[in-house]
Parts: sequence; C-alpha cells; structure tokens
Amino acid sequence: MNATCNKNRLEASILSGLAKIPFVSGYARTYGWNYVLSWCHRITGIILVLYLWFHLYTLSSLHTPEVYNWKMGIMFMPVIVFFAWLSSIPVIFHALNGGRLILYESFGSRNDESMIRWTLYLCFIYVVILGILIFMENQTVSAVFFWLVMIVASLAAACGVAARVWKSRHTIFWKLQRITGAFLLIAIPAHLLFSHLNPSIAMEADLVIARMQNWFIKIVDVLLALSTLYHAGYGLFSIAEDYIKLRISRVVISGVIVIVSVIFLVVALKIVFTI
Amino acid sequence: MADNYSITLDIKRYDPDTKKTWFQSYKLDAGRILRFVDLFRRINNEQDPSLAWGSSCEHGQCGSCAVRVNGKPLLACELLVENAVKDFGTTKFRVEPISIAPVVRDLVVDLEKAYEKVHRAKPYLIKRAPLPPQSSYYQLSPKEIERYEDATRCINCFSCADACISSHKNFIGPNAAMASIVRLMDPREEEKEERLKLLYSEEGIYRCHSSKACSFVCPKEIDVAHFIALAKEGAFRGDNGE
Ligand code: SF4
Ligand code: FES
Repeated sequence: MNATCNKNRLEASILSGLAKIPFVSGYARTYGWNYVLSWCHRITGIILVLYLWFHLYTLSSLHTPEVYNWKMGIMFMPVIVFFAWLSSIPVIFHALNGGRLILYESFGSRNDESMIRWTLYLCFIYVVILGILIFMENQTVSAVFFWLVMIVASLAAACGVAARVWKSRHTIFWKLQRITGAFLLIAIPAHLLFSHLNPSIAMEADLVIARMQNWFIKIVDVLLALSTLYHAGYGLFSIAEDYIKLRISRVVISGVIVIVSVIFLVVALKIVFTI
Repeated sequence: MADNYSITLDIKRYDPDTKKTWFQSYKLDAGRILRFVDLFRRINNEQDPSLAWGSSCEHGQCGSCAVRVNGKPLLACELLVENAVKDFGTTKFRVEPISIAPVVRDLVVDLEKAYEKVHRAKPYLIKRAPLPPQSSYYQLSPKEIERYEDATRCINCFSCADACISSHKNFIGPNAAMASIVRLMDPREEEKEERLKLLYSEEGIYRCHSSKACSFVCPKEIDVAHFIALAKEGAFRGDNGE
C-alpha cells in the first residue's frame, strides 16, 4: 500500500515536473506526450546522424596516429567529457523510445503510459550509470568479452523483431529500419558504455589500432557501421518523405542521402580493414 | 465558477480578393455555456458581419466547424466557453482555420479538397461479399463489430490530420487511412487487395510515426493511432503473408 502510494507520488512529481517545462508542456497539452516524444525522437535522430558522421570523421584520422592523439587530447578534456556524458541522453532516449515504438507498432503493446514511464526511467538509470562509470575511470574490461555478450544480445533483439516483421507486407526498407533499430537499441548504448569503461583504450591511437585489429572486433565494427548508416539514412529519408511536397525534390534528396551514406560506409570500412 | 467571462478572440482572417492575412481581435462578454460557434455568430451580429466561419449541424456530427483554438484542432460547436477557459487556462484565444486544405476565407477551408483524400480511400464497401444463403441481409456478430465500431464514429472533421506530426503534404491522413482500415476489418468487404495497396504505399502507413496526436485531439475520442498500428502490425488477412 505504502509502496504504491510512494510510487504514485513519485510518478505524479515526475509528470508535474515535466509539465513545468515551458514550450514543451504547451505542446503536450495540445497534442499529447506521445507527440512531444515523437518530435524528440526526430530531433535526437538528426543529432545522432550528425554525431555519427563526425565520429567516423574523427576515427578516420587513426591513419595518422599523431592527429588522432591530438584530437583525443581535446576529447578527454574534463569539460568535453561532461558534454560526452550529456550526449548520452539523446542516444539512450532515441534507443529506448525507438524500442517503445517497435513494441507499439509491431507487437501490439498499447499500454502507452507505462511504456513511456519505463522509457524515461530506463533513460535516467542508464545516464546515471554512465556518469558513475565516467567518474570511476578505467575499469579495464576485456573488449572481446564485453562485445561478445553485447553482440549476442543485440542480434537476439534484431532476430526477435525480424521474426515478427519479416513476413509482413511492408517494404524491405521499412523492415530493415526496425531490425537495425532493435540491433542498435542495445549495441549503441553498449558502445558508449564501453568507451567510458575503458577511456584509456580510446585515448591512444596505438591501443585503439591494436583492439581494432582483432578479427572479432572487426566484425562488430562492420555490423555497427552498416546498421547505423542504414538506420540514419532511412530515418532522414523518412523525414524528407513527410515534409517535402515536390516529388522531384524528394528524389534528389533521397539520392543525396544514399550518396552520403555510401561515402561514410566506405570511410568506415576503410578504417576497419586498413588499420 | 463564473457565470460570465470577458473573452478575447484573436481570429485569423484571410481575404481572398486581396490575398491578405491578419489577426483581428474581438472582445466579448460571454456566458459560460456558450459554444465557440455562438461566439462567432455573436461577432457576426454585433461587431463584424464580414467574419466567415463554417458550421452545419452544430451538434458535433458533421465536422464542418473544426478550427484551431490556441493551436489545438477541435470542433467549435462542442467547445463551451467555461471548458475553454479551464482547459487552456486563459480567457484569450487564438482562433485559426485548420491547415489541411487551402483557406477559402477567414476560418473556412476548402473541404472539397480535404475530402479528396477520403474519397481516394473509398469509405464504402468496394466489393460486397455475397449474402448468406436464404438471407436478405448480413449478420455481423457483436464481437466482429466491437473490433472496429469505434472507428465508425469518425465524422471527418480532419482534426487528426491537422495535428499529425507527419504533416498532410504526402500522407493520405489518419482519418482517410482509418476509413480504409475499417472496411478491411469489415467481414462484408471482399476487395482487400486494393485497400492494402493504398495503405502500404508511400502515402499510406509509412507516413505514420505513432505520435498519436490524432488519438489525442479526436473529438470523437477514437484511438485513431491504434487502427493504423493494426495495419502496421499486419493484423488483417493478406497483409501478413497469408
Ligand atoms: S478520426 Fe476523429 S479527429 Fe479524425 S476526422 Fe475522424 S472524428 Fe475527426
Ligand atoms: S457544426 Fe457539425 S460538428 Fe460542429
């Protein structure tokens, strides 16, 4: 009884806290929290696409270790680390909210309110855990062990979604968006977690190169590159299809998205196979 | 609760002759159970006969009075002054036409244009299943009807289309999609394929991102997003490899 009361009080205070956020709460009152979350999903998606491209650009300097080490010197400045921690918020939100949408659309979970609550709770827990790990610094976790566990979990999520949507009438592109989404739901938060578990490994080019030369890690990196770039590309395509009226403009933009995605894929594969 | 309110309506005007758009402010003292259509009528009678707005049944049954009040699409014939003050927490209201079709004048939009999408979704049985032997009518079980009964309450007010995150540029719209989905769920409809083709096209369910604004604003309290999600889920014969 008491536990229920406390829980309700906690939830009420979270909701009333959210309702105080200016601008956002106005939209929530007009169109509902789902609508606000959907906009957050779109905006965080775009932020993450830009971050992905920037990340690949940074990694491409592994070919010249001095440049990489110089860049990492900047990346590990305390203020930048703080922003890196903050940047985990869009990552985990986009991942978990995407998971919620997959459950809603393909698995018949219509219990929205509790799904939204769980999305927000889990986001909070993840961000706190990440903060603690950043604070504790190097935990020296084995890359192969960590990724073995995480890739199995990511593939299991992807297979679960694939089994559900594969036979449906949807286009292959739509299906792949959901399947890669389920894969990345675990793989990307894991990727972030790993980099904060072992910051020293990411700091020096030699250590990064040594890790990336392991064949299993190469497979992980290829899977990450393929799925993130596909997911990002289809996400951008979907936004363009929603808002651009003129067919010819949509075709041109889709073409640009494909070309940019392929260029970044080549960059990513070059990093994986020539290092 | 007050009996009278001093209300300010900032109404978006549009003059098709000059192509000019502007906001015009009207102040009124209004009783608590007056509806927004009553306020528009009073403005016509007492302040400005040139203000154009639309309504027909004035009983929440035709959808022709949908407008945006402080950003929210709703039926002006259902919105009482006291509810508006309570829900929006103000006595000042910005009233605009809904955005789903070109504006004809002031708050009146070209509903013919808006209805084009609904017509494309064919909101009727395209091919009726043959009647059961020795029967002059179809009998649907309550269980069958229960699955889609809610959706049949739609009055095509286009509030859902106005609120949709996906915009209405390339999307057939939540109400039109639902009109087709209802007939997919109707055991009397035999033409499933044509309906599925529309729903699985680029202007169909791919434009829906489950933002659920449609369900949130629907004045008939239909969970529109649920019906569209059923289509995404592959809940009908023929859309899941059957
Ligand atoms: S579903 Fe609701 S909001 Fe949409 S047109 Fe029908 S009645 Fe209006
Ligand atoms: S006038 Fe018919 S619904 Fe409002």
